[in-house]
Amino acid sequence: MDDRVIIRFDHVTKQYDDDLPVLDDVSFEMERGKFYTLLGPSGCGKTTILRLIAGFIEPTKGDIYFHGKRMNNVPANKRQVNTVFQDYALFPHLNVFENVAFGLRIKKVPKVDIERKVKEALRFVNLEGYEQRAIHEMSGGQRQRVAIARAIVNEPDVLLLDEPLSALDLKLRTEMQYELRELQRRLGITFIFVTHDQEEALAMSDEIFVLNKGKIEQRGTPKDIYDEPVNRFVADFIGESNIITGTMIDDFVVEFANQRFTCIDRGFAKNEQVDIVIRPEDLELTTVERGKLRVRVDSVLFRGVHYELCCYDAYGNEWLVHSTKKAEIGEEIGLHFEPEAIHVMKRNGGE
Amino acid sequence: MKVSRLYLAFVFFVLYMPIFYLIYYSFNSGGTMHHFESFTLDWYKDVFADTRLLIIVLHTMIIALLSSSLATIIGVLGAIAIYYAKHRWKQTLLTLNNVLIVSPDVMIGASFLILFTIAGIRLGFTSVLLSHIAFSIPIVVLMILPKLQEMSPTLIDAARDLGANEWNVLTKVILPYITPGIFAGFFMALTYSLDDFAVTFFVTGNGFSTLSVEIYSRARQGISLSVNALSTLLFLFTLVLVVVYYVITQRASVKGGQE
Repeated sequence: MDDRVIIRFDHVTKQYDDDLPVLDDVSFEMERGKFYTLLGPSGCGKTTILRLIAGFIEPTKGDIYFHGKRMNNVPANKRQVNTVFQDYALFPHLNVFENVAFGLRIKKVPKVDIERKVKEALRFVNLEGYEQRAIHEMSGGQRQRVAIARAIVNEPDVLLLDEPLSALDLKLRTEMQYELRELQRRLGITFIFVTHDQEEALAMSDEIFVLNKGKIEQRGTPKDIYDEPVNRFVADFIGESNIITGTMIDDFVVEFANQRFTCIDRGFAKNEQVDIVIRPEDLELTTVERGKLRVRVDSVLFRGVHYELCCYDAYGNEWLVHSTKKAEIGEEIGLHFEPEAIHVMKRNGGE
Repeated sequence: MKVSRLYLAFVFFVLYMPIFYLIYYSFNSGGTMHHFESFTLDWYKDVFADTRLLIIVLHTMIIALLSSSLATIIGVLGAIAIYYAKHRWKQTLLTLNNVLIVSPDVMIGASFLILFTIAGIRLGFTSVLLSHIAFSIPIVVLMILPKLQEMSPTLIDAARDLGANEWNVLTKVILPYITPGIFAGFFMALTYSLDDFAVTFFVTGNGFSTLSVEIYSRARQGISLSVNALSTLLFLFTLVLVVVYYVITQRASVKGGQE
């Protein structure tokens, strides 16, 4: 067994009563010191994985290994894992210092050490001098930091973060994304971050697990997932995409919108039906003569950094284009793209 | 606006009038409740000179403090048990709890009397204490449950996540969180016990008596203004309890309100 592996799920299923399984025969490994993100829509099972790792629930089937040891029946309070909760779950009857010290006091750490460690943890999250504050006197962002300090002060091997940024406003959220990433680098421990926000996932992770209906659809680096989504669901969830059906004529040749294009994909059966993804930002606005595709502009939205153009080709396919150039509604335009921009995916399946 | 104020004033006047009437005549040297002669504290002196009465006051206090303390302990555990109960049981348990609060004291008193007679428990201190504990528990549960329900369940997850075992969760998270509810329940139980007449009347015996039962029997025997004096003292004491109760709940809600 590779000793970098810290968590291993072996055919884990979680099912409540006779409902459909929340988590369906999932297996994966996670390595120490990496930033993982579990990404998916609500109800996809991402929080279930987190709660299984934390020990709040037990798997119906399958085994969970931690440092190579089976962990199924080890209760939450005996695991080297700490959680930052979505609602922070700070104890309202304790002040900031006591909240952070909670875990250490339970473990009967000597008073001097508690004092030192709590101060250190609060310094880590930039909350020095807030020790005596009551929780209700802290802002949302500050509570978030207290929750993080309370978790990391116990020096866990793995830190679990359950949508911790969802309650913050946009500006603070972006700021905290940087801080969390930075914090993970400094601590060097494994972070497992749960979110439904694909931008957050792409910005922070070493590796992303995209989940849907209790299954892992795809795992990979943010770049892998963004550039090479394995199926329609991942492509659609990970960002705004143009997903259309096509036919793989031969290696490096794909047909869609009644035209043949060179692409960089191969290994499909001849004339296999496939899904094609082209990202809106990979489509370049040009004249009808120079474009590979000819479309009519249906609507234009100003998005700040770019215009979002919704266009249709002659075959009824919708094309979303992100462009810094503006086009008029009803205008005929050409769309240009590189062969690398075409991502070919198998129908309803894996890679 | 004016009419509603007048109406409110009238209602409160009617409600408080008898009490103040009674208090007023407790200072009457005339010895009757229809002609005020002159101011005197003789009735109060009578009360404090009456050793039997003072012992009864003491008994009442002991019963009230003991029963409300024990009922609070049992009620806290009961409320937590209901909180953790499976959903379909929760409502049933809660309903059973509330039925006890609304059912007539006379019925409860009579049924306790039957129970104690069958069980062979001698009527007196023990029977009164047991019945007071019994009718206070549902009140304590009712005061504590909302506090528990308002507590986010992730608090318990968080505590376990930080290494707390079940005992730590109870003592370091749940109990501190519901403390205001516990105090409210305790004071409610205290006032219920102090002024209970119907239940106590059934289950007391062998010379043991509490204040409300004693006042009742004295009032029946004939009018002595020392009963007024005693009632006044009891009223003042209840007032103090109410004030303490308000201060505690007020402080708790100010704390919670700033969230």
